[in-house]
Amino acid sequence: MGTFVQLVVDGLSTGSVYAAIALAIVLVHQATGLINFAQGGMAVLAVYIAWWLTTKDVPLILAILVSIAFSIAFGAVVERFLMRRFERGDPDTAVVVTIGLLTLITGVAGWLWTYNNQQFPSLFSLDTVNFLGVSVSQRSLGTTAVIIVVMVLLQALFVGTKLGLALRAVANNPESAAFSGLPVGRLLMVGWGLAAALGAVAGALVAPQLTLTPGMLDNALVYALAAVILGGLTSPVGVVVAAWLIGVLENLAAVYVSFIGYDLKVAVPFILIFVVLIVRPQGLFGRKTVVRV
Amino acid sequence: MARAVDTSPSSSLRQNPWLRRAVPLLVVVVLAVLPLVLTENTNDTLARIGVFAVAVLGLNVVMGYTGQVSLGQIFFVGLGAYVTGYGVQQGWNVVLAFLAACLAAAVAGLVVALAAARLGGLAIAMVTIALPIVGVPLAKRLSDVTGGSQGLSARFAEAPEATGLYDDQWVLYVVLVIGGAVFLLTRALVRGKYGRAFAIVKGNEAVASSMGISPYRYKVLAFTIASLIGGISGFLYMFVIQYTSPETMSFGHSIELLAAMVIGGAGSIIGSLLGGAYYVLVPELTNQVDSSLTALLQGVILLAVLFVLPGGLASLLRRLTRGRRRSGAGSGAAAPPTTPLSTAVSGTSAEEPGKERQGHA
Repeated sequence: MGTFVQLVVDGLSTGSVYAAIALAIVLVHQATGLINFAQGGMAVLAVYIAWWLTTKDVPLILAILVSIAFSIAFGAVVERFLMRRFERGDPDTAVVVTIGLLTLITGVAGWLWTYNNQQFPSLFSLDTVNFLGVSVSQRSLGTTAVIIVVMVLLQALFVGTKLGLALRAVANNPESAAFSGLPVGRLLMVGWGLAAALGAVAGALVAPQLTLTPGMLDNALVYALAAVILGGLTSPVGVVVAAWLIGVLENLAAVYVSFIGYDLKVAVPFILIFVVLIVRPQGLFGRKTVVRV
Repeated sequence: MARAVDTSPSSSLRQNPWLRRAVPLLVVVVLAVLPLVLTENTNDTLARIGVFAVAVLGLNVVMGYTGQVSLGQIFFVGLGAYVTGYGVQQGWNVVLAFLAACLAAAVAGLVVALAAARLGGLAIAMVTIALPIVGVPLAKRLSDVTGGSQGLSARFAEAPEATGLYDDQWVLYVVLVIGGAVFLLTRALVRGKYGRAFAIVKGNEAVASSMGISPYRYKVLAFTIASLIGGISGFLYMFVIQYTSPETMSFGHSIELLAAMVIGGAGSIIGSLLGGAYYVLVPELTNQVDSSLTALLQGVILLAVLFVLPGGLASLLRRLTRGRRRSGAGSGAAAPPTTPLSTAVSGTSAEEPGKERQGHA
């Protein structure tokens, strides 16, 4: 029983990281209608910058904050100078552009900092605390807590501020938003910047565990996409719940289903998707969209 | 609309009955003679280009012609290679190994598509991205069949005694025959009834439904055919490279394959050929410059092509041939159809001759 609870808590912690990247993907999709496959790559670049700063004796927390600031700027620049040209066109082309961006960012990281593994310091210690009779690492608890705080902040931004209202307006209907005088372009840049910052937080949380390489978040991106499909692209809450579900299920499957084990647990979300798709094609929480010609 | 404009130059070419017969004949003769006169190294490179041109062609069926982004094509190439390798090691007849590779890839593709095509829009991309990521650990896990991380090697490419050919010549001939057949069949497919249905599904799914064309069924069909072609490419991969490992179907290769398709030209037969050439030649070139720069350069090339030449290299060729015909009118029209082939070949023949040849003198 102790192992079970521990697996669940650890699953929630890794699930939180997938949730952060999945939320970033949903944020961009809500604003622009496209899936950013470079989301993980952008996050890795941010982690590399934080890591590079720590090797220059910058305190870890400051380095992470700088990397988040960099991400906001980078996301905005990518939107303005790369994606804007493709946003209203063929979505397939736009997706290929984000895949090109992923290749480019991976290439830049590999070129600047080699493809070797780097050790990224952790914000939280690996010491365990006793929690309802099971020992859980502070890292697991800390990761989950940070992501929950970020989600609450994000929710507050969207519901409680003028900026959030404007962002939602652009997401719902860019044309109407423009008619009512909203600076749609600038808001899209903000959306991309926020998404990139979210990725940077997730990257910094997961990097100590995975060790830093240019392809570090490739798998996490896959999990995040799985969470997006499962949760439904229109529902941020659904995406987070799905990410937690995936994190917990893959952890349990790795231990209790002997064929799956640790190397094949990446298959778990897709088996889940397979089952869900047969029953509910719009995702667990998504709304069915009706297309009019 | 765009499609109708795209095909117009080639259709006006086909109005000349002499050209219509002479050009394919010329191409066949050139292809028949080339392996005999080129160096071993060039033959080997051309054979590898053939392997990946077929893989890119498969991707084009689902992505270029049907508009469904697939990031999993390399998985089917790897699957085909593994099935072929396993079959050859078990002493199967080569034809049986070929059929098994096709069947395995097609069935796997069908199963994936049945689930993925239920989702609209970009979901196929999101589901297929999992294929290489699950495929690599799966290939390592099933080590009894796949040889684990060690990989699987199978040599069955020796030229038969009777032909008197060198191995590299034999390999290239086989790639040309199988690859050529796949290209011709695919060309017929995408220009026929199914190709039009694919184009309508790509254009607007709601319109397709209203015309009685089930987007779901045609997406599944396109994906299955693409997987089947991927399986054939995997067979050729094993035939030419004679070795496969989990690395064959890694995520990076999957992305490179997609980049090759876009750079060659989405929704274009010639583009598939150019894509195959890009996939094989450009990493070799960038490795010579600086191997740590390879991924960076590939990203830059992909983005640059998307910005400057959204139709890929194939659209550049089309633009060039159209321009030439406008200025040279009529008589100059003989050149265009052969340009793609000669550029693809001349790009490779510049390489220096290789080591000793193997096989029968």
